[in-house]
Amino acid sequence: MRRWSGALRHVLLGLMALVFAFPFFFMLVGAFQENPTNTPDRLLPTSGWTTENFTRIDSRIDLAGSLLNSLVFTGGVLLGTVVCGTLAGYAVARLDFLGRRLTWVLMLLVQMVPFQLLMIPLYVQITRGYGLGDTYLGMILPFAINTTAVFIFTQFFRALPREMFEAARIDGAGELRILRSIALPLVRPALATVVLVTFIGPWNEFLWPFLITKDATMQPLAVSLANYISNVAQSTANPNGAILAGAAALAFPVVVLFCLFQRYFTASDLGSAVKG
Amino acid sequence: MRFIRSAALVAAVALGTVACSGGSDGAGGGDAAAHDATGPITVWLSNNEQEVGWGQDVVDAWNADHPDEQVTAQEIPAGASSEEAITAAITAGTAPCLVYNISSAAVPGWVRQGGLVDLASFPDGADYLADRGGDGVDVYQTDGGSYQLPWKSNPVMVMYNKALFAQAGLDPDDPGMETYDAFLDGARAIVDSGAAPSAIWPSPTNDFYQPWFDFYPLYLAETDGTLLVEDGKATFDDEAGHAVADFWATVYSEGLAPKEESTDDAMATGQTAMQLAGPWAIASYGDTIDVGFMPVPTSDGRADVTTFADSKNVSMFTACENQGTAWEFLKFSTNEENDGGLLEATGQMPLRQDLAGTYPDYFAANPAYEVFADQAGRTGDVPSIPNSIEAWQAFREAYSSAVIFGGTSVDDFLSTAADKVDALVGG
Amino acid sequence: MTAVTTGARTGRTHPSAPAGRTRRRWWGGQPIGTLFAAPYLVFVLAIFAYPLGFAAYISVHDYFFTAPGVEVDKPFVGLDNFVTVLTDPQVLASFRNTAVFLVINVPLTVVLALVLASALNAGVRWASVYRVAYYVPYLTASVSLVGVWMLLFSSGGLVNAVLGPLAPDPSWLINKGLAMPTIALYVTWKQLGFYVLLYLAALQNVPRELYESAETDGANGFQRFLNVTVPGVRSATTLALILAIITGTNLFTEPYLLTNGGGPDGASTTPVLLIYQRGIQQQNPDTAAAIGMLLVIVVGLLSLAANRLNREK
Repeated sequence: MRRWSGALRHVLLGLMALVFAFPFFFMLVGAFQENPTNTPDRLLPTSGWTTENFTRIDSRIDLAGSLLNSLVFTGGVLLGTVVCGTLAGYAVARLDFLGRRLTWVLMLLVQMVPFQLLMIPLYVQITRGYGLGDTYLGMILPFAINTTAVFIFTQFFRALPREMFEAARIDGAGELRILRSIALPLVRPALATVVLVTFIGPWNEFLWPFLITKDATMQPLAVSLANYISNVAQSTANPNGAILAGAAALAFPVVVLFCLFQRYFTASDLGSAVKG
Repeated sequence: MRFIRSAALVAAVALGTVACSGGSDGAGGGDAAAHDATGPITVWLSNNEQEVGWGQDVVDAWNADHPDEQVTAQEIPAGASSEEAITAAITAGTAPCLVYNISSAAVPGWVRQGGLVDLASFPDGADYLADRGGDGVDVYQTDGGSYQLPWKSNPVMVMYNKALFAQAGLDPDDPGMETYDAFLDGARAIVDSGAAPSAIWPSPTNDFYQPWFDFYPLYLAETDGTLLVEDGKATFDDEAGHAVADFWATVYSEGLAPKEESTDDAMATGQTAMQLAGPWAIASYGDTIDVGFMPVPTSDGRADVTTFADSKNVSMFTACENQGTAWEFLKFSTNEENDGGLLEATGQMPLRQDLAGTYPDYFAANPAYEVFADQAGRTGDVPSIPNSIEAWQAFREAYSSAVIFGGTSVDDFLSTAADKVDALVGG
Repeated sequence: MTAVTTGARTGRTHPSAPAGRTRRRWWGGQPIGTLFAAPYLVFVLAIFAYPLGFAAYISVHDYFFTAPGVEVDKPFVGLDNFVTVLTDPQVLASFRNTAVFLVINVPLTVVLALVLASALNAGVRWASVYRVAYYVPYLTASVSLVGVWMLLFSSGGLVNAVLGPLAPDPSWLINKGLAMPTIALYVTWKQLGFYVLLYLAALQNVPRELYESAETDGANGFQRFLNVTVPGVRSATTLALILAIITGTNLFTEPYLLTNGGGPDGASTTPVLLIYQRGIQQQNPDTAAAIGMLLVIVVGLLSLAANRLNREK
């Protein structure tokens, strides 16, 4: 009985893993092909391997520079989100204060509004209102605190047993201390989720950084690669290799980072902490 | 209810912010002092590798002679995202001085925004445009103003794969497909012989600009150059429009063209034997497949066929602080020498009079482009009309459901699309 | 909402003098919360208040964007834009398409993510390998994924090759009835990794003793899943529901890339695609803003319903 369900679980997980990893496989194979096509029989090519797709990218754009820009952009966003997001999320979930409901409503509202609606007014505000055109700050600002992340924090703080906080308060612990010594350690599994959802936004974002700066030395990797792809797609006969190589170059750092830090995405057993 | 009250509070705060910042707009565009001023300027170039190369050479040559009026070139991608960037930049007053590679369809919208400078407002403006482009330049005016310099064209012709044509029993050097009937026979031969799964593969998607590469070139050919809209009225609900729409409807209903976007470059992979394309295709396909070019078909197979110009132009923006320099640089970058450089570098046809006569050496050395130089003399373009993009979008959607998917009749498509376009253009 | 009741209760546990109570009612039981939330509030007001208020303002005016300094009359038109939008068959169709999307995407996402997350959480071998595999589509940019999807679902693609005579005609993405469901499947697949991660995190907070006591009571695996896991991750389910609804209603990139510009007869047109076409491409921000306002209202109501439904279960 036990072994059966274990085997079943493996079949389910393994099958799904195949379905999910397939595009990455496709992308990697295509990126190293001379002439990749989207026909089924080219899925397992035996010849035509090349690294030329990557050397062409390297010759056309400054990979190291754009990577650095991407890191500045995503790093700024991550910092803002994790610091301000935990504070706001904890406050909305567990504290009773003036403006709590307003914060909650704003959180929902901001997520519901499509970016396409705000794009032009936002651009006018950041460049004219704040004079932040062609700066990293202008690039980071609209993403500085990821609202979805704040929302996730809030929901996770809410799921924590209420009794723990009340016990600590009765013991006379200050709110800052409760946050630091009770809430933050317990919310660690959510932190991984938040980092991922926050990271992926600015990392793949093309339109905003492109709007805010036309200066190629300031553009993050996603913009450089998108420009490269649009350019190659127009001017070469078979753009697939270039597109897949560009996508792989964009995805590669994320997957490496993810694999490196992947043990942090598994949370330790928190049952005992909750019990205590 | 609390939710609603809070939401109302948010809205009120937000509106307050708008009201406060609404008045702070200083006078920016249309500055009289900027019109003649000289000094450093910024220009945007399309990020196509050859064009950037050309642009950088021109900028370097200019900068060497004008230490006080330095030009900085930046790259923007061609296509939709650059038009969004330009619209946003106009609204914020951060547009550059000149943008190369502008599509005419977007110009009326930007004129309405107050974002573009009328080039005829420069003392020698009207003369320069007329001297360079000839009579054709009037088509590019919006509300009687010259807001774009017609820069270069990519006249659309039928590109075909010679090897596949031979396989289908067609003469690769003279396929004889000038009439609709001959074209359809040839297309059937390609599919029936198994030379390629489809004869021709225009992009069947709903993007507003797709008609420029299926319906519109054939319509211009059939009418010897009647634009989609003339004198504020849609022209296409007529015999010529019917003939062209019926032609494409036959192509789709007989399965000669797929109804789905190609997942690959269908021409390069031999999935199709023909495509409508401009001179850029020679550089793209010349090395990999043996391609030939023929004029787009007409019902009677006439000589001297007109086609779609697919021009890309240059505009000056009101946000520019040194418009005097911008105007001088615009003239410099489009003079005979630099136009020749553009032709040399990209194979695209400068929109100036008597191309073949001006650059005889180039066409002698590159005979493949000669047919395009000849075709460049007979083109029509996108009409300059109000709500231009909206009108093309409405046209495309009606075309798609009738001609490509056969859901409605061609008669219905032409009359409803004409009504919609009339309403958009009239108001 | 839950948060409100929590606050009230915490307030009651600290009885104090009448003067203090008034102050507390105004500032709340833990006024330091205002300080905690302040950076976020300032951020939202500084960044979003203006564009959002502006969108609301535009939606009731005959408006278009102009260069600074250009004076044009932009009269107040009341609800005219909303009337225009609500009588436009294309707009109504786009909302219907969104409904089709949500009906397929939301339940599929939530159920699949919870099942996979609890399977992973049970401590299988190679869990880390599986996890990486699940997150890969979420991490990878859409441009390359769309190529794969095309490879699978185009007329001559793998799926049709496998189906043989059962393949739909016209094929998936150009079939009026199937275009939107295909996109819904694609988005489920692309986003699922994120929701798996969300549930994995939530599962860490379900006390292990509950499983143990359920097991001693003789509950089998499925019963434990139903009686311990599902109630244990309820707040994560609310979160997943709301996020999936918001993602679904703000759908833009996928129909834009997969069925360029709305598919056959606009069968995969979404409200945000229309906002993009009308507001930015065609420069009619007023009707675009009206669509946007309607969309925000619809999403708001749906999220509220999801929140309430899941709480009362």
